[in-house]
Amino acid sequence: MALLEVRDLHTRFRTDDGVVKAVSGVSFELDRGKTLGVVGESGSGKSVTFLTVMGLVDRKIAEVEGSVRYDGEEILGAPSSRLRHIRGRRIGMIFQDPMTSLNPVKKIGWQLEEAVLLHNDVSRDEARRRAIKALEEVEIPRADTRVDDYPHQFSGGMRQRVMIAMALINQPEVIIADEPTTALDVTTQAQILKLMKQLQDDHGAAIVMITHDLGVVAEMADDVLVMYGGRVVEQARVDDLFVKPEMPYTWGLLGSLPRLDLVASRLEQIPGQPPSLLHPPRGCAFNPRCAYAFDRCREELPELVAAPGKPNHRYRCHLDDAERERIWAAKKAALTPAEGSAA
Amino acid sequence: MSELLVVEDLQKYFPVTRGLVFQKEIAQVKAVDGVSFTLEAGETLGVVGESGCGKSTMARCVARLLEPTGGKIIFDGHDITHLGRTEMRPIRRDMMMVFQDPYASLNARKRVGEIVAEPLDVHRVGTDRDRKRRVQELLEIVGLNPEHYNRFPHEFSGGQRQRIGIARALAINPKLIICDEPVSALDVSVQAQILNLLKDLQRDFDLTYIFIAHDLNVVRHVSDRVMVMYLGKPVETGAKQEFYAEPKHPYSGALLSAVPIADPTLGRARKQIVLRGDVPSPLNPPAACRFHPRCPRFVDGKCNVDEPLLTPVSGASDHAYACHFPLERWPMGEDEIRRTPSLAASVD
Repeated sequence: MALLEVRDLHTRFRTDDGVVKAVSGVSFELDRGKTLGVVGESGSGKSVTFLTVMGLVDRKIAEVEGSVRYDGEEILGAPSSRLRHIRGRRIGMIFQDPMTSLNPVKKIGWQLEEAVLLHNDVSRDEARRRAIKALEEVEIPRADTRVDDYPHQFSGGMRQRVMIAMALINQPEVIIADEPTTALDVTTQAQILKLMKQLQDDHGAAIVMITHDLGVVAEMADDVLVMYGGRVVEQARVDDLFVKPEMPYTWGLLGSLPRLDLVASRLEQIPGQPPSLLHPPRGCAFNPRCAYAFDRCREELPELVAAPGKPNHRYRCHLDDAERERIWAAKKAALTPAEGSAA
Repeated sequence: MSELLVVEDLQKYFPVTRGLVFQKEIAQVKAVDGVSFTLEAGETLGVVGESGCGKSTMARCVARLLEPTGGKIIFDGHDITHLGRTEMRPIRRDMMMVFQDPYASLNARKRVGEIVAEPLDVHRVGTDRDRKRRVQELLEIVGLNPEHYNRFPHEFSGGQRQRIGIARALAINPKLIICDEPVSALDVSVQAQILNLLKDLQRDFDLTYIFIAHDLNVVRHVSDRVMVMYLGKPVETGAKQEFYAEPKHPYSGALLSAVPIADPTLGRARKQIVLRGDVPSPLNPPAACRFHPRCPRFVDGKCNVDEPLLTPVSGASDHAYACHFPLERWPMGEDEIRRTPSLAASVD
């Protein structure tokens, strides 16, 4: 049985302008110790999906439907006391911006201790001991003295390490990381990704990696969800997705990535903007930006169907198999690896 | 082609002072310490390094938003190193900046039309009507709807705001545009749009760019030449082809291998240098080679004693590095990364 099982999740926000369909029918499973990569542009619904899973959307303005089973237990709509027990204890979270996620007027140690004391019946001293241990684990030098520092005394990368320490301090089974490296330098990103992988090996936690960067997904994930306009438009094992992506949006995301291992004089760009979730386009949400869209795409939403011979690789697209095969072959030929530059 | 910009041994030291009334200088932060390069008209120089390596300070000195401590900046034949505000004014028409954060760099209380027209106002170009026509033309050039002239910045997405910033930089036909991390805050799909736009504009308007980034992937797409900086000093410079074919400095190798590869098979196969920690404080930089405490190829008694100078790569026309023990092969192997047992960095 999967650790986290989400079925047909919908999140709609009521606003003055109308109903925003932020998440429409998202389903996926997450197994213990695995990493799920969730990719999409800003506004694709990837963050709202997981806020909904965690019960963190405001139910006064949001309508939520579907099913979220955590370790067999239905938690969608569970009372907040029950959710509080799961959040922070069994599911840890890491957010994008480490400066706004830490309290600037409290010491790092105090903030970590708080996370321990909330979920465990231990003394302050024991909590402090665990806080120092957690900081050591995320490779903060001189953890026993840095524990008494304030967030502003840490660099961006170190603050993100503190966030990871906080998410891990109660040894959760799932870590949801929402763009944990987007605000960081590439070198710091490499450090953080390596650290997360290593901690996953040590503790066996499952990771949900929310990102807009397919490079990060390729590096981290076992399975991938590609989201667009509040829906899953492609889902697959990471190798399958990169060997043969099936959906034009995924092609666009791959083409728009500047890559050291490939030579392209000009990046392929996805024209236009992500769709409005207030007035989504008819048919396939991607059709206004899709170079291959035809009449059917503007009328009818494609179902999430399995790729030929690959039941775990599902996608939404009206193009037939032969057509997609032909287009991808042409794209792949255009992106030939550069001589000797495959780093 | 002619030289548009020559920078020689540029230095920028910030004083660290103590005391409120009688400020006594107690130390200096050497943010930029000996940067030299030449930029031909129509070229792009990519400047790469981590946060705190002095790349933005260097750019601000070149744009003369800061007064350099030492060295020389020659722009379009004029020595602008120590020009005053009024003397700089006519020269500013020819150099513009695009900033990293498209949210903070546009005045939230001004309309897009006013923001883009600002350089025209400052330099008193044309009549009101001319300016309006020019602004609409600019909005069209950068791919925005000219009818959005009267909108406010908050009505635009991050990528669209960056287009507004670019339209503003283009307004009075500058020769040089300094782009300080223009795509770092954007989604990859939007990033591609902006990179392509910058390349198109360069072709159409003969622009010269200094392009600052921390991602060597991005820089590769736009640059003719690359300069890698570490703690205020260039550690490797080169023509794009030569640099990417055979990076020499271990820091360049670390930056290159830090970028995630969008291919799981290749990603698993490659060797990676993951640097420990952050860039050390420029207040008290490490002795000799400033990279030595984080370097995987560090050799005790050499790197921490003897400062390496920028030396040309033999056989290359435009490629130099500052390292005693440069990388010998690229892509690098395990032995390449860990030349001597070292605690400074770890190997994946």
